[in-house]
Parts: sequence; C-alpha cells; structure tokens
Amino acid sequence: MQDKLKDILLKVQKPARYVGGEYNLPDMDKPCKERVCLCFSDKYEVGMSNIGTRILYHMLNDTDGVVCERCYAPDVDMAEQLKLNNLPLFSIETKKDVKEFDLIGFSVQFELQFTNIVYMLDLMGIPYYAKDRGEEYPPVVAGGPCVVNPMPFAPFFDAVLIGEGEKNLKELVDLHMQCKQQKLSKKEFLERASKLDGVYVPALKNPVKRAVLEDLDKAYFPTKILVPNCEIVHDRSTIELFRGCANGCRFCQAGFYYRPIRERKVDTLVRYATELMDNTGYDELSLSSLSTSDYSQLKELVAKIKIEADKRKVKLALPSLRLDSFEAEIYEDMQGSSLTFAPEAGTQRLRNVINKNISEEDILSSLTAALKYGVKNVKLYFITGLPTETDEDLQGIVDIVKLVKQLHYKYGKSKLLNIVVSTSVFIPKPLTPFQWEAQIPIEEMYRRQDFLKDNLRIKNVKYSWHDAKASVIEAVLARGDESIARAVVRAYELGCVFDSWSENFDYDKWIKAFEETNVDYDKFLKGFSEDETLPWDIIDNGVKKSYLLKERHLAYEGKTTPNCIGKCNGCGANKFARCFR
Amino acid sequence: MIILKHYKVDDVSYVSQKDILRVLQRGLKRAKIDVKYSQGFIPHMLTYTSTPVPLGVQSLAEYFAVECNNIDKDEFLKRYNQSMPTGMRAVASYYKEKNPNIAAIVTASDYMAKCSKPLPKEIEDIAKESSYIIKISKKGEILEKDIAPMIYSVKVDGNDLYMRLASGNTNLRCDNVVQHINEKFACDIKINDIFRTAQLIGESGSFKDVEEVLK
Repeated sequence: MQDKLKDILLKVQKPARYVGGEYNLPDMDKPCKERVCLCFSDKYEVGMSNIGTRILYHMLNDTDGVVCERCYAPDVDMAEQLKLNNLPLFSIETKKDVKEFDLIGFSVQFELQFTNIVYMLDLMGIPYYAKDRGEEYPPVVAGGPCVVNPMPFAPFFDAVLIGEGEKNLKELVDLHMQCKQQKLSKKEFLERASKLDGVYVPALKNPVKRAVLEDLDKAYFPTKILVPNCEIVHDRSTIELFRGCANGCRFCQAGFYYRPIRERKVDTLVRYATELMDNTGYDELSLSSLSTSDYSQLKELVAKIKIEADKRKVKLALPSLRLDSFEAEIYEDMQGSSLTFAPEAGTQRLRNVINKNISEEDILSSLTAALKYGVKNVKLYFITGLPTETDEDLQGIVDIVKLVKQLHYKYGKSKLLNIVVSTSVFIPKPLTPFQWEAQIPIEEMYRRQDFLKDNLRIKNVKYSWHDAKASVIEAVLARGDESIARAVVRAYELGCVFDSWSENFDYDKWIKAFEETNVDYDKFLKGFSEDETLPWDIIDNGVKKSYLLKERHLAYEGKTTPNCIGKCNGCGANKFARCFR
Repeated sequence: MIILKHYKVDDVSYVSQKDILRVLQRGLKRAKIDVKYSQGFIPHMLTYTSTPVPLGVQSLAEYFAVECNNIDKDEFLKRYNQSMPTGMRAVASYYKEKNPNIAAIVTASDYMAKCSKPLPKEIEDIAKESSYIIKISKKGEILEKDIAPMIYSVKVDGNDLYMRLASGNTNLRCDNVVQHINEKFACDIKINDIFRTAQLIGESGSFKDVEEVLK
C-alpha cells in the first residue's frame, strides 16, 4: 500500500492531506483489541478543524486496548487515482484498508455531506446499505450533529449514535470489544447496542434517548492534540467553555439540541488552555461554545487565560459574540479590526418572533462602542424567509446598515468602514419551535434576495447571500424520512459529491435523483401539521415536543421567552442532566 | 543566530515549503525557544529557511536559521528534536553572529535518486553535453529550457543516480531531470526516492559544502 501510494501522491493536489505524520500522534503500535476508524465526510482541512471528532479520536486512543485512526473524504482527484490503481480508501495513520477495521464510525456534520457518506463507502468497497452488508463487513456507525434527524441517512448505518460521543461511543466500543471476545455475531452485537443510551439501530427501529454527559467539567478533553503539517480551516487550538445555550432562538437547532447547559470551571479551562498552548505551539487560541459571551465567568476566564497567552505570544479569539452581551471592556483588550454581529432579522417585530432577544438600543450601543475602538470591518448576519417575514423586515435590514454607516460617521475612529451583509435562507430544522413550518418557495427566496441586492447598493457595503437552491436541498435532507436515502445514493451516482462546496453543488442533479427514485421531496418543504408524527419523533432529545409547540404559538403572537439564565423555562432537557442555569 | 541542519524525510516530504515554515515555527514555540520577533505592525518570528526542495523530494540537508535570545546551540538542537513531527530531525547546529543568508549563497545541490532497477552508464554523458533542451510545464504553459549549463555532474552506481545541479537563483528541479533522463534513454525506470544530500556554494570546479561556511 505504502509503495503504491508513493506513485499517486505526487499526482494529486495537497498530498500532505493523505500522509498524516502530525505532531502529537498517539501510539499506533500499542497492544490493542479493537481498531476503530473514525471517518469524516469532508476534506482533511475541514475534518481536522472539528473539535468533536478531535475529542473522540484522542479519547479512544487514550483508552486501554483501543487504537483509533482517521479517514477523511479524499478530494476527487485522489479518488480518481485510487480507483485507477485499484486501491481502497485507507486510514491516514497506518494506511490500512478501512474495511479491515473492527469498527467504522462516521461523523455526519452537515446535510449537504450525505452524498459524501456514499462516496466514501464506495471507495472503501463497502455496500451502501446496512441491510446488504453481511458478517464480513465491520459495523458502520454514525454520529455528529445531523443525528437530530438520522432518518435520511439511517439506512446506510448499522447504528446511529444519538447524543454525546464521550458517552455513547465509548460504551459502544467497549461493548463491541466484549462481543468480539465472546465471538458474537454483528446482529447480536447490534441487539445489545440498542439497549445502550443513545444508540439507534435502524434495523430494530428502537425508540432512543439521547446520551448526555452529566458533568462536563469532569468529561474527557484532550490537550495533547494533533497539530497538522498543512494548513487547515480552523488552524488554532480550541477550548470548549460550555455545552448548550441559554438563548432559545426559535430557528436554532443547536440551541435546543445541545441542552441542558453544562459549564466547565474556570480553573479547568485555564489548565486546558495552558496545556494546549504548550503542547501545540499554535499562535491562536479560541474560546468556543454556542454563545461564548454567555459564559457565567467570562471576564475572570479571559483575564486569567490572557496572562498565560501573553506570556506565550498567543492571540485569543472570541467567536460568536452576541450583540446583547457584547462587552466593550473585553473588546478594548483585544483590539481587532473586524467585528461580527448576527441580529438575524431586520425589525424588532421579527426578532421577537424568532426570540432573538436583542433590542434596537442593544445594537446601537454595542456598535457605537466597537466603532469608538476603531473597528474597520463590520459583518452583519441575517436570515431571510423567516416565518411571518414581510418586505418591511427586509427594509429593516437595509435600515440597520444605514444606521451603522451613520454611527460610523458620528463616532468612528477609523477613516473607512467596510460593512459586509450576509443573508442565509431560513431552513425549518427539526427540534426547533419552527420544525412544523414550511420553507418559502424558491422564487420567493430569489425575490427577497433581489430586494436586498437592489437596496444594499451602498458605498462600502458588500452584500452576499446563500444559494437558494442549496437551501432547498438542505431543507429536504434535514427534514426527510428514510426514503431520502435512496435519492442520496442516486444523486451520488449522478455525480453529486462535496455538495457543501458551492462550486460542486448541482441542483438539477438532485431534483433528477428525487424524481428517478420517486421521492416526493416537496412533501418535506411544505409545513407539517401539529398533530402529525414527524420522522424524528422516535428520538427523545430531551426538549419536550409540547414545549416546542408552545414556543411556536408564542412566536406567532410575537411574544418572546426570556433566556434561561436565572429562571428555568421548563423545556425538559434537564431530565438527562442537571442544567447549570 | 542559530542555524540548524535538518532532515526532511518520509511523509513530511509531501508538505509544501509554506507549510513547513509554519511547522518549524510551531515547533519553536513548543520547544519554548525565546525567538526574536520583527518590530512591525504584525510581529512575526525572525526565521529563515534555505531554498525549498520540490514536493515529494526528501532532504538530508535543509537549513533553518533562527534569531533567538540566550540559548546554547546544543540545547537548541536537543529541544528542537523533541518538538518536531517525525521526519524533521536536526543533525547539527551552529552559532553565527550574522545571518549567513543560506538561500542566497547556495549555488548548487547534490541529489541522489534510488531507482527501481540498474541504470545504463550512458546517462552520465548528459553532463558533458553543451546543450540539452527539455520541455518544462510551468503554470500550465510548456516552456523550453536549456538545462545543460545547470547540470554539473551525473554519476550512476547500480540502482542509484547521483546528480549535482544548479540550485538557488538559477535552479534546476531534480525531478525534471530524472523525468527527462527516462524519456531520452527510453528506459522505464521508476524512482523510489529522491534525496537532496548536500547544498553547496562556490562555482563549478570549486564547490564546497555550505556547512563549511557555518563551522
């Protein structure tokens, strides 16, 4: 394998992606009873940036008797070479044929990566559907954020891990080791696996409860992480401050899925940050979570980490600051030249509908503060096509942009201010109060984008928008049932792969795939009725359906729900673990 | 200033020069070496590398210079080797008051290619030719280039091919030469590995190893 690889590595772009050899590589030669291959259905640069798979990879390698290797979706040029040379898809570390592992795990991060699962299975020489795979193939399991509704890709997998991998993946690997020792069949293993928390076995259609860590502070977190030799998307070390989010924005899947809120302690985080900086040599450290500025002791944490970071000439990055808790003091310390805000909707009325608890004054005061510190670039994120949205709300986006310009004129320290406005199209995702909503028709998406294109022709303002067609397919794949799987296979056969990379996305092929496989995709774009059983209802994610429904009704009344800091709103997620708030 | 001579072998030979610089700088941070930074608006580490080898070519003679405070050259070498990914190993370290600017003074490099089968002796004659024009593809364009003045010597020893080629300001890629040897002699030779074995200074006839300048 190694010799054959040498021949093809120089024929493909960025060969460093396929050879591994990263710093901090775990011991691959230790005595082991179980070899697991973690697959990521996107390129190396994307997969290596993902903190979830990073945690699981090191967790498994730190487990006695288990060796875990990685495999990423090879770029199309590499896939072509593999096929040409009759080579199977291999693991990065030991260049071993993936189907020879004891267990194969896929991380499914994004709906538009579904074809990549089929693409990778194809390159591995593994039949696409779990039902077609006999005992000669290892169990293939899936996890990751898309398992909120695993139905569209469930037929490809022997088991789907719902919830937090630190818990259910570890248990599953342990169980598989035992079953292997006892020489049990794959079927028997899967039957036992279905009894574990957060393991859905599609063949058994077992009702499943999401696996949730009770104490995040004591959970495994790696600080001796792989440092890639080539550039990746998020090329920095990251600490995860907390899981869950207190702000119940009604369009946000992550905000509901990752509940309950569990924080890590300041001292734990400072220790992780220090170890990471020493072990990686990265010159940037990112404090990550769904809403970093809501961390209960952010000031103390930033102050403590900053001392260590300054000693090592490491820059701190604070992502996803929410407008309402944006703290000018923090900003003063970390003078950058760019600032990102996400008001999501243009008017207060619509922000109330989506429960984005930010007022006009909040926006004004935080922006004014930022401009006074000399911010040169402001990025504003909005969603179009939200329930009840009208042209007035779109005009609201334009008004905010004009207001920012005025503020800059009045208070701006920098001479020039560049404003970038980005809009995405609303996708009614499962496990949100808007899961019953319909997506607006594609013509309407275009009309609203055109409205903004026309009205945002302002000097130093750049408008970018998310492809409407990709949003349609994403909605179908997010909300679909098991019938979608056959359309995914057909789409792959028609040439769809790396759909999340806009240059590869081909809408017409997808529509053709749906038509040829008789999948009524339109059904999943229309709204669901409130009493209907939804494809993902078999999964108990913690948050009660009745709570989501209540939130939906509040949305239509234009009433907001306060965030759950201080007072519990009773969403139901704390039945799995105590909610920090 | 400390100058390291290091290997770049096995898998890291597929890492581009731009990425190698990043790998080196992160390694210095892990090794807790007190590197000096530039005084500009965005301070960066004061580090310098020698001329890069093409992707896939391994090297036993890469040089890397670092401006740093208070560190013994042997201690530097030890810590460097503890902080680098496999394939990047330092074999010697030198202290110099001034930056010798290796990338600028090097004029030639020695290469060794390990081939799949014994090589014909006639290959050695290409170093004697007065003109030898080959076609090189550069950014999608095919260019004709006379490489004869850039080939200083070629020796064959069983399966191994030894070459001394121009390097630095006028540069000849060793993999291009190997490819054209294959075409010219119509031999189906597969190259298993190519190594850069030394970087040289001076002119044809009086070349000496760049390491001598550092000693």
